[in-house]
Amino acid sequence: MLSENIKNQLVAVVGKDRFVDEIEILFCYSYDSFLEESLPEVVLFPQTTEEVSAILKIASAEAIPVTARGAGTSVCGAPIPVKNGIVLCFSKMNKIIEINTRDRYAIVQPGVINGDLQRALTPFGFFFPPDPGSMEFSTLGGNVALNAGGPRCLKYGVTVDYVLGMQVVLASGKIIRFGSRNIKDVSGYKLSALFCGSEGTLGMVTEIILRVIPAPETTQTLLVTFDDLDNTAQAVSDIIGSGILPVSMELMDKMTLNAIEDSVPLGLPREAEGSLLIEVDGIKEACDRERERIVAKVQKHGAVSVQQAQSSEDRDRLWAARRAAYGVFAKIAPDILSEDVTVPVSRVPQMIKKINAITSHYKLKSGVLAHAGDGNMHPLICADRNNSEEWERVEKAFREIFAAAAELNGTLSGEHGIGLAKAPFMPLIMDDDTQDFMKVIKEAVDPGQILNPGKFV
Amino acid sequence: MNLEKGGTCGKCGICLTVCPVFKVLKEEQASPRARIQLIKAFTDNKLTSSPLLKELVSKCLMCGNCGAICPSGVDHESQFMEMRSRLSKQQGERLEIKGLVYLLAREQRLRLAAGVARLGQEILPDSFQRTHDLGNIPIRKYPRLNRKPFRKTVPEINPPKGKPRGTVLYFTGCATNHLYSETGEATLHLLTSMGYTVIIPQKQTCCSIPMLLHGGEAQAQQNIQQNIDCLHQQDVEAIIVDCPTCGAALKNKFPAMMRKYDREDGPAMEVSAKVVDLMSFVYERLDQLDRKKTATKLTGQKPVTYHTPCHLKNNFTSAARVLETIPEIEYHPAADSTACCGGGGTFFYEYPEVSAKMGRSKIENARKTGAKIWLTDCPVCRLNLSGQLDDGDTITMMHPAMYLAKLLDV
Repeated sequence: MLSENIKNQLVAVVGKDRFVDEIEILFCYSYDSFLEESLPEVVLFPQTTEEVSAILKIASAEAIPVTARGAGTSVCGAPIPVKNGIVLCFSKMNKIIEINTRDRYAIVQPGVINGDLQRALTPFGFFFPPDPGSMEFSTLGGNVALNAGGPRCLKYGVTVDYVLGMQVVLASGKIIRFGSRNIKDVSGYKLSALFCGSEGTLGMVTEIILRVIPAPETTQTLLVTFDDLDNTAQAVSDIIGSGILPVSMELMDKMTLNAIEDSVPLGLPREAEGSLLIEVDGIKEACDRERERIVAKVQKHGAVSVQQAQSSEDRDRLWAARRAAYGVFAKIAPDILSEDVTVPVSRVPQMIKKINAITSHYKLKSGVLAHAGDGNMHPLICADRNNSEEWERVEKAFREIFAAAAELNGTLSGEHGIGLAKAPFMPLIMDDDTQDFMKVIKEAVDPGQILNPGKFV
Repeated sequence: MNLEKGGTCGKCGICLTVCPVFKVLKEEQASPRARIQLIKAFTDNKLTSSPLLKELVSKCLMCGNCGAICPSGVDHESQFMEMRSRLSKQQGERLEIKGLVYLLAREQRLRLAAGVARLGQEILPDSFQRTHDLGNIPIRKYPRLNRKPFRKTVPEINPPKGKPRGTVLYFTGCATNHLYSETGEATLHLLTSMGYTVIIPQKQTCCSIPMLLHGGEAQAQQNIQQNIDCLHQQDVEAIIVDCPTCGAALKNKFPAMMRKYDREDGPAMEVSAKVVDLMSFVYERLDQLDRKKTATKLTGQKPVTYHTPCHLKNNFTSAARVLETIPEIEYHPAADSTACCGGGGTFFYEYPEVSAKMGRSKIENARKTGAKIWLTDCPVCRLNLSGQLDDGDTITMMHPAMYLAKLLDV
């Protein structure tokens, strides 16, 4: 329990309006999009780096846990304050500080919504490639903390590839700045790569310099269906393996297609065993050629139908369907677990077979969707946590799925992060010495263990 | 229905993108996701009833945007309504809101109160009217109440002008009856000119939505029953509403409420099937408008802009399509024409600061269109937005029916 004295100190920093300790409101900061819940003792809404620094000085002195939160849309439990303490919610620190397309960067505060940055860049003919499914509601601070990905990261890379620099408040309250406005910058350690994906365990990011790039001239979108899921997967690995580089290549199995169609009727082919949503972008002539090569490949693998989006509304509709996939599964059962194991793309067909063998062995309601082009799988399992017998099967299945990915030279998480969801499985992909090395870094930066304690490190 | 039913929230957060209150406050506790989680915590006995819980659940415009976008099929509206009702009973309401529920429950009470209030408007000193606000709107900017309730000024059965095409019922709602009689007159003119016999059932009464939102569930039953009784008629083509909120009640809430009251829902379902908003009814029958006259009348008209009420967008279809389709109308869409205005029934009165932020941005965008006529179907949107216009603004707000009816002038 935080003493009145400490609470008064915190109120002195942010003011009464941005300080919350009523149980009803604390409850709203106990969850994200994952399953767990844990109550904070206070929630603070900082608006400046100095406020964050002052808060961390108090927290350090009093050994109070501090957990950062953006929009609370993580699917791995990263912003859940499992050790209670302070939740620092950045939703009101949301200014776009500068857009400079001549030098190709944007400087933002952590609470800016990804989609808002995209809209601010559009008039300049620029965009910010990372596009997590939550891009319309998740914050860039959260995207950076979790090193978020998304469909078009197949071609463009993930968040860390677009972070040029940062301002970070350390646990001690010290404010550090690293990186710069330059795309090339090898002055010292590449610290942005350390903090990006650290899930709030190393410091509080209060300003981010992001690389932005010119928007492509044209985009072409295809929906391809197959009567066999293995053929679908083979087509993916063949297309990528032959040197074609689409923007994105989304795989949906029959269960996923039907779950979407039940919820948002879009005329998706319900009888298809597998489908691919493929997008290419660039100069029109190049797109045409790439599309032709892709069509030839999918036909070789027995595609049943190939449809091209005829208008931007058509394209938006297909993507809206894909983005709704996570939510529509919630209709099937009270709880939904979405993981994001990732394997080298040539192993995608094997991995899909394994996932389906495991989930059917444990008799689970599940579907597979995937950013298949980069091997990022999203097995989705619908279950009821209150059914302990079923839940035990779910846990066993996931353990086996993680192990299977590891065996195929894969990894636990491609884009969601470790959070609470995958912390116990780290040994599957990382030996003791490597985990110890992460602990050395954590102890050096946060000796009091106050930053997002109880997570993977 | 009980709180435990109505879809499972996967906590994905998509609703954060469409909630007007969250957009302004940027606080999770002001989001649909949080309200659903709070209701769940309450039913799981993790939270007990409290004034703050009531505020968190009620600080909502009931616009329906969250339910419309939810991929998990959560029925936010019913859960919120049920929870507001429970908390309202346990925690009580502000005196003036309680008074509203009391008045709306009986037509004669409402008539009497409107008469007294009109008198009040006439005798209130100007200096007081100039300097005081009600909610976020200066008192002097509230519209004058109708001299007589609209329904007392027109016959129950109104024959068509010209070639008869059929019969419709017209549900006027309280706002047209007591506040905006000109909407009623325009609606009647429009429909009879199109060739319809318009029946305005004199027994109709408040649709009961304001009561359901403020703990008056029991009082609402008699209203709902009375409305169903007078609207349940076999030989009518449609039941027309000029107010989208009343429309949403008739179309979606009445059958559900009848089931909740353990009553037969058949007649409510039949009523529901015939309910249509006025502008959709007109849109389906544009050929029945005397377009020749309209065309000449419209030449040289000032441009108009339009605000889509949330309850129209989420239960019917935006009337923007009417303005887009009639080629002679110079329609200048505003940048955020489908964004919520912040009115939300009594929301603008209960949470003026939040509401004013939404209103200001709407007004800014309306000004940018250069239009001098700003159309909207919903009386609360109209009251809320016109009340916040500056004295220097030369924008006039009206129901689209008034705009069309003026042009017809048969």
